[in-house]
Amino acid sequence: MAYDWHPDFEKLVDEHQSMVFSLALRMTGDRGLAEEIAQDVFLELDRNLGRIESGEHARFWLRRVTMSRSADALRRRKVRGIDLWVEMEDVHAARAEEQSNYRGMGPLSIRLEQLLATLPEAQRAALVLRYQEDLTPEEIAATLDAPLATVKSHLQRGLKLLRSKAETHLKEYVRERKFVEGV
Amino acid sequence: MREFDAMNFEPGDEFERELQQAFARRPAPPSLKRRIMEKRRGPQLLPPFLTWQRLAASIALTAVLAGGVQWRIVEERRREESARRQVLMALRITGHALNQMNARLAAHSRGAQD
Repeated sequence: MAYDWHPDFEKLVDEHQSMVFSLALRMTGDRGLAEEIAQDVFLELDRNLGRIESGEHARFWLRRVTMSRSADALRRRKVRGIDLWVEMEDVHAARAEEQSNYRGMGPLSIRLEQLLATLPEAQRAALVLRYQEDLTPEEIAATLDAPLATVKSHLQRGLKLLRSKAETHLKEYVRERKFVEGV
Repeated sequence: MREFDAMNFEPGDEFERELQQAFARRPAPPSLKRRIMEKRRGPQLLPPFLTWQRLAASIALTAVLAGGVQWRIVEERRREESARRQVLMALRITGHALNQMNARLAAHSRGAQD
């Protein structure tokens, strides 16, 4: 079925590349993999452009496919026997040293991103869509094709876990700062 | 501290505001769009006339190279033949000179005997 909406693919890339790349990056914790996912997602969008009804539909479609491709990528890595969580923490820890990756971000923001990588995949997905994309639980459920109750549960548990981890790390951070300033 | 604020659409407390700030979208790498557009275009195929031009140029180049090699072989053979002739001529002259010398020596020894 053809729709009246005639999008310019290049404009769609311009408009949504940051969203797609950020979602993939926060889900995989790997910059190179996130770029690959973003490329694949946009090329798939190009193939399916005839089925997209509107700009809002394109945005929804991109979020949904990005989350799905990121989950596939994580699954493939697990199958290959990579200890993802250890690797992701390593990647994020290593990147904390790279100022270019966290340019313009405060120390707490950097720490929060690192802590996000330590959450289980489903909780991470819900929190990224909630706080990066400002989606409601209903919209997250539609994007992830999951029951609303499950999404709410992931949001609650994820937020609780992230909050407790952040409190612990924040106390350590404040202690370190006091120690450094004291010296 | 309120918990489960993620249920509300608006950020509930300082921590959630911090989360929103921390999870702001990151700029995509500058090369991402270029790579997407290149992949979208796919491998570039040459137009047919360019293919024929390339083929003709290859044949011409091969012919020129083969001609050059052939000319070099012929030229080497010509030089070898010329050198061989010169050596034969030198041998002939030397033989002729030796024969003359031999004849003179023979005449000289006959005169001495007489």
